[in-house]
Amino acid sequence: MPKSEMLTKFCRRKIAKEHMATTEYPITLTTFPRLGTPDCTTPSYPVSGPKLRSQYVPDEIANPHIRFPTLAANIRWRRGRKVEVNVPVFRDEKTQWPWKDPSVNYDLHNWPEDDDVRNGAVKDNYIYMDAMAFGMGSCCLQITFQAKNIEEGRKMYDQLSPLGPILLALTAATPIYKGFLADTDVRWNQISRAVDDRTPEELGEKPLQNDRWRLPKSRYASNSTYISQDSRLRKEYLDPNLIVDQDLKQRLLDGGMDDLLATHFAHLFIRDPIVVFNEDLKSLDLSKADHFENLQSTNWQHMRFKPPPPGSDTGWRVEFRPMEIQITDFENAALSVFIVLITRAILSFDLNFYMPITRVSENMETAHIRDAVSTEKFWFRKNPFSTRPSRTTNGTGESTPVGSRPSTPFGPVEDEYEQMSINEVINGQQIEGGFPGLIPLVESYLNSMNVDVETRCELARYLDLIRKRADGTYWTAAKWIREFVRKHPKYQHDSVVDDEISFDLVKAAEQITQEEGRDGLGWEMLGKRR
Amino acid sequence: MKLILSTSNIMSGGPSVIRRPMFEKSNAELTSSLRENFTISQRASTPLTNGNAGPAKPSFRSWTTQQGSAIYVPSHAPSPLVEPRESYDITVKLFFLPNIPSDRRSAQTREAIDLVLRELGTTSIDLLIVSFPGISFDADDEESDSDEPLTPPSNPTTEGGCSDSGVMPEDIDTMVATWRTLEKLHEEKLVSKLGIAEFGVQRLNKFLPQTKVKPTVNQINVRDCCVVPKPLILYAKKEGIELLTHNDCTNVLPPGTLREILGSGDRGAGVLAGEGNTEGLKGDVQPQWVVKYTAVVKDRGVVESKGYFAVAELNEAA
Repeated sequence: MPKSEMLTKFCRRKIAKEHMATTEYPITLTTFPRLGTPDCTTPSYPVSGPKLRSQYVPDEIANPHIRFPTLAANIRWRRGRKVEVNVPVFRDEKTQWPWKDPSVNYDLHNWPEDDDVRNGAVKDNYIYMDAMAFGMGSCCLQITFQAKNIEEGRKMYDQLSPLGPILLALTAATPIYKGFLADTDVRWNQISRAVDDRTPEELGEKPLQNDRWRLPKSRYASNSTYISQDSRLRKEYLDPNLIVDQDLKQRLLDGGMDDLLATHFAHLFIRDPIVVFNEDLKSLDLSKADHFENLQSTNWQHMRFKPPPPGSDTGWRVEFRPMEIQITDFENAALSVFIVLITRAILSFDLNFYMPITRVSENMETAHIRDAVSTEKFWFRKNPFSTRPSRTTNGTGESTPVGSRPSTPFGPVEDEYEQMSINEVINGQQIEGGFPGLIPLVESYLNSMNVDVETRCELARYLDLIRKRADGTYWTAAKWIREFVRKHPKYQHDSVVDDEISFDLVKAAEQITQEEGRDGLGWEMLGKRR
Repeated sequence: MKLILSTSNIMSGGPSVIRRPMFEKSNAELTSSLRENFTISQRASTPLTNGNAGPAKPSFRSWTTQQGSAIYVPSHAPSPLVEPRESYDITVKLFFLPNIPSDRRSAQTREAIDLVLRELGTTSIDLLIVSFPGISFDADDEESDSDEPLTPPSNPTTEGGCSDSGVMPEDIDTMVATWRTLEKLHEEKLVSKLGIAEFGVQRLNKFLPQTKVKPTVNQINVRDCCVVPKPLILYAKKEGIELLTHNDCTNVLPPGTLREILGSGDRGAGVLAGEGNTEGLKGDVQPQWVVKYTAVVKDRGVVESKGYFAVAELNEAA
């Protein structure tokens, strides 16, 4: 068993278990299937508390550290109402249509926000949720990479960006919300809505009067710009409608920051801080980066570019954030290792995955579609290779590399990318000159390395899982969970995941965590494992 | 006349480094990166004309360099490593080819190492692996007690696969004689570690007692690394030999393939004379050896430089 798996298997789950009751077990589902149903917490607390003001979850569900309830309260305050997390419901054979969320209480009058549901927050055919916990309570798989320097960090940030939606769809694991089957497979947009602090003016619901701009995205959303000073970054890849704080950008430029990076930060800084500690406002301590980190860490994009903290030898880092957590340590290790190997292949082969950033955002939406991994197509760059440096030969037979050929004229950007299935992106297009596939790229990288047979064997198991998830041989957790519910004897084919089904599902997750498919449970996700 | 063929750094080479299916042994990386490097050099030597597709292939003299009795194909300038030497792990694999007298190997090894050192701008190598002709791991290990039998490549001579040299593995004494050359390089501190490829338990058993410097690496090719025979794993562990994976052909550059690459046909570089190319070199080419080098930035696992040199003799009298 490789170290990555060992770490979670023998350390984290074990430590967690040691702090739990004998009837409890640490599982890694993205969301608790019945979060927000009555008595969904133990011990039970009354809902409609002063901080969250949710009609579904008690204030006690939030981390008691003052930061977290304050965060939730301030988002609500800024919005002027509670967050609206609406997820389309999965329409099964006996689901009433149009479907009206039966768990909405229209007669609550504890807080002004209780009017939200009477003012149109609830929509037909959508599961309604009203608190940050429904999003930020999700569990996911995020990986932070150390870069050798800022240039490498910026390059990894850009090159991993287009992979975000692909890996989101591939890891889909979230088909249930608040006790109902959803018609989407991933958590992303729910988190986005659960922390969306935009005002009606920023949302475009009212004319701009007090606010500075219309904001097309929540502060939790896919990346909106590229940052690498890379000659391959064409201006056409950038979003011409990107919202930036121009004054702030000018200050960064005046201070010597380059345009791309200044744009990135000036874009992050279009948001207000959500939580500021009183003491930090009394004096400005420029030796600390607290105010920056405050905004940086409440801009939840699918990549995060992390400057070194002042006064530490931590270098530049890049975080890859879109993946959904998987049930087993094996799967989570496989995906983590896969992404690490992709970064090594990107740096070794100098791969180029650039395409217009708005297409990446589009892909992020596509990734939500139920079973997107096998039914949908995603925009992706066709040729990831850079032109090989050409050499000029002089009379003495010595040749000098002249760098990337500037003579090669760029064709139209639209010709550089096309729609591909997840299988094509991961395993390659089986056509002459087609996209080679992320796994063949990784294999090719591994063939250039000295890898011992045992490690290569482990890696082969990991890559095999990913290969077969992508080609449809194995199911995503989302599909497996959905089918588990639909085949459950108590399921009425009405989209309702009741307490008993939920209990059995969680017990199944526990068994799969321990057996990893060796006993046959979950083989559709994991294959027949020895 | 000697031909020194080179690929330059193939890491940015694109398609030539990617091949499918992944577990298939292949020499496609070598052949396609040679072709690509030749094409790039030809293009660079052709003055840009009025934008039309260039005329016939340029004379090979324009993109190759003759130094004494050796011709560099294409003209070659080293691309030294960027970071300090200690940041890198440099691995070199030397392929001795079938039907080449083994008494040439001492000189060939020196020459190969010299080319690589100059290419990378360094003075030492971390690991030197030697590949003897005719050896194949799959067929070699008779003692396998694995539950699942190792399947030999079903169709070993298909396009992109490896063609069988048809020669038998040489006897241990010949291998040991070659090994003495490597031991010398080790002694001179040009190479820190030595390795062999495709050795099974039996061959290791006969080989090891005769070595002064033991190999620390045995590189094996298995389609499914999860079915490496237990006895080999145990034996290697006991002897302190690391089992590494690879997917190279043992017969990495068959004469026919080289003739096609250099020839005057549609897919040839026009170095050798042929129909419509009277200017080309006349005679028979015989590949002598091939060397593959890889420089990996240790801490970061980034492959910075990878490439091949191949040397062939041209017998003009033929």
